[in-house]
Amino acid sequence: MKGYYAKRIFSALITLLIITTLTFVMMHSIPGGPFTRERPVPAEILRTLNEKYNLDAPIYEQYFDYLKGLVTFDLGPSYSKIGTTVNDLIISGFPASAKIGLYATILIVLFGIPLGIVSALKQNKPIDYLVMFMATLGVTVPSFVMATLIIYFFAGKLGILPSFGITSPLGYIGPVLALSGYSLSFVARLTRSSMLEVLRQDYIRTARANGLSEFKVIYKHAIKNALIPVVTYIGPMVATILTGSFVIEKIFAVPGMGRYFVESVGNRDYTTITGITVFYAAFYIIMVLFVDIAYGFIDPRIKLGKEK
Amino acid sequence: MADERFVFIKDNTEDMETARPSLTYWQDAWRRLKKNKLAMIGAFTIIFVLLFGLFGPSLTKYSYSDQLNKFKNLPPRLEIFNVDENLNFHLSNDYNIFLVTDNGEVYDRLEPDKNQRDMINKIYIYKYGTEDNYEEVILDFSYNLLPSKQGYDYNFTIEYDGVVYTQPNDKVFNRTFPFGTDDLGRDILTRVMYGTRISLMIAFIATLVNLLIGVVYGSISGFEGGKVDEFMMRIVDIINSVPLILYVILLMVTFKDNDGLTNIVIALSTVYWVSMARLVRGQMLALKEQEFVLAASVIGVPRYKIIFRHLIPNAMGPIIVSMTMMIPSAVFTEAFLSFIGLGVSAPQASLGTLANNSLTGLLTYPYQLFFPALTIAIIILAFNFLGDGLRDALDPRLRKG
Repeated sequence: MKGYYAKRIFSALITLLIITTLTFVMMHSIPGGPFTRERPVPAEILRTLNEKYNLDAPIYEQYFDYLKGLVTFDLGPSYSKIGTTVNDLIISGFPASAKIGLYATILIVLFGIPLGIVSALKQNKPIDYLVMFMATLGVTVPSFVMATLIIYFFAGKLGILPSFGITSPLGYIGPVLALSGYSLSFVARLTRSSMLEVLRQDYIRTARANGLSEFKVIYKHAIKNALIPVVTYIGPMVATILTGSFVIEKIFAVPGMGRYFVESVGNRDYTTITGITVFYAAFYIIMVLFVDIAYGFIDPRIKLGKEK
Repeated sequence: MADERFVFIKDNTEDMETARPSLTYWQDAWRRLKKNKLAMIGAFTIIFVLLFGLFGPSLTKYSYSDQLNKFKNLPPRLEIFNVDENLNFHLSNDYNIFLVTDNGEVYDRLEPDKNQRDMINKIYIYKYGTEDNYEEVILDFSYNLLPSKQGYDYNFTIEYDGVVYTQPNDKVFNRTFPFGTDDLGRDILTRVMYGTRISLMIAFIATLVNLLIGVVYGSISGFEGGKVDEFMMRIVDIINSVPLILYVILLMVTFKDNDGLTNIVIALSTVYWVSMARLVRGQMLALKEQEFVLAASVIGVPRYKIIFRHLIPNAMGPIIVSMTMMIPSAVFTEAFLSFIGLGVSAPQASLGTLANNSLTGLLTYPYQLFFPALTIAIIILAFNFLGDGLRDALDPRLRKG
């Protein structure tokens, strides 16, 4: 068991190294440096800038410097926001993104799973059709459209929600709803189909034949097994939610990490792009690792280390 | 032996058990698919959307980049003031007066008389008619300003031919621009059609490339097995260990210099093949143990032929299903990229860029977002329906039912 964790953590680190290298190479293969402007920067200033950011050093030296920085959790300075480091950006942006992401995840778990279960239990009844109709809508409407619709109706027409910022608790409603829409619908659909499959299993019939109350059959026997695929989805979903928040943060003007990322893409702020990518990658890898470990607890049939 | 002892038996079809004509896998799948109403709705919607995108732009009077400066920000549903027979005024949200016929054709915009405008009280005079023989149209916005004019339940008036109108008395559909126009006076219907074409083109090309790479990669990995498989799947694992959208964004940033369309296609197709590769590998692992593969290799069929002639055709069902699901996700991703400003470059437009462009004027001109967004939703829904139907039709596990 311990060996398995060690192996997983090791391979996660290797993956991270490869991703860092990839992003680094990509960023440095772009024609034109970070200080290329429409109006050329005077050679003198360019030289000083390059010297300051160590850009005239050979590429492998820059690479090792960058790796050295990474080990000490130093992602380097931002090229376009003078005087701030990428660390500053992440520290100032991540809490807002994480908060929205967390609320969205809670919303998804609290509503998506029960809706799916109810829908499966009332299969082909009006409630089922209603839930599935909403869920189908949810997966077809892109999150940015959902966000703009929320702004249009709730902030514009009705005026009950603020259209930007998260300074008041009400401000969270819009971004969280828009962010969770897709995954909420997906989780509801997934729970429903998985629940339907479990309800057809023999052991459920046995449980019913043994005279267990319907409540016990569903809550003690069916749900536990029906949730396994849902848990698999929810782990990586957290990361999807974070990347999904790029757009949501832009629309709702939330001062989060996603907005910095989108801005840095526009500004060609390479260190920020690389830094935030590596941060996201690390976050994602940790989440997946976490789910894998949690898996063993939920489903003892899965023996870690012996998969595939 | 004498030949007469051999008698041909009569061709007696009546005694034979009348069996159903045997169906091939694909005929059977097609039969199932035809029965699935949602899937057929999806299929027909896809055909319709394809026609809409392919031929639509050439059927309208305007091109996607035509800027009709006179007709900016016209909505698809016009609120009009009926002032005379076949003469209606439409007061747009940016306070221009348009001339509309009774059945909703917008044909001109009135120009304010520059010598007579009263900027302080916001009273404007427009001329209707020729230079010498015209009627004055007085647009009066002073109700919010002048103390003498307060207390009315309307805040502007239009006066024409001595009659004062306080609110629109009719609504007509815009016949000239059925979806309205955008802030540069471009016909939104044409742009949505064109955007559909671009979005679908990106999605189809990217999906085809993904299919090609994924199938080849996955089948080699699955068929070879052993060390090769392990190494190839390790690469897939590494690529897959990060949200794929991050790679796409990085790639888009890296080759920003090319044409935006090529960029998106390259970025999407270099990344999204991994899921296809995994699927095909799984299929290969299951199929390669079967007898027909053994038989083929015994009679000396080369390995690549076994893969392409025997294995891949047998794995086609799941591949097609996954392909149908890949197209909407490519449309989604493309819209997402365009939305954060990494999409196709102007004057080209995809559905995502159209949605993005409409954001600035959202509260005043919501229809500019509505149509591209609706089209995206319809495309995704249609492909999802068809994909679900195909899965039910092609999945061997369900074939008993």
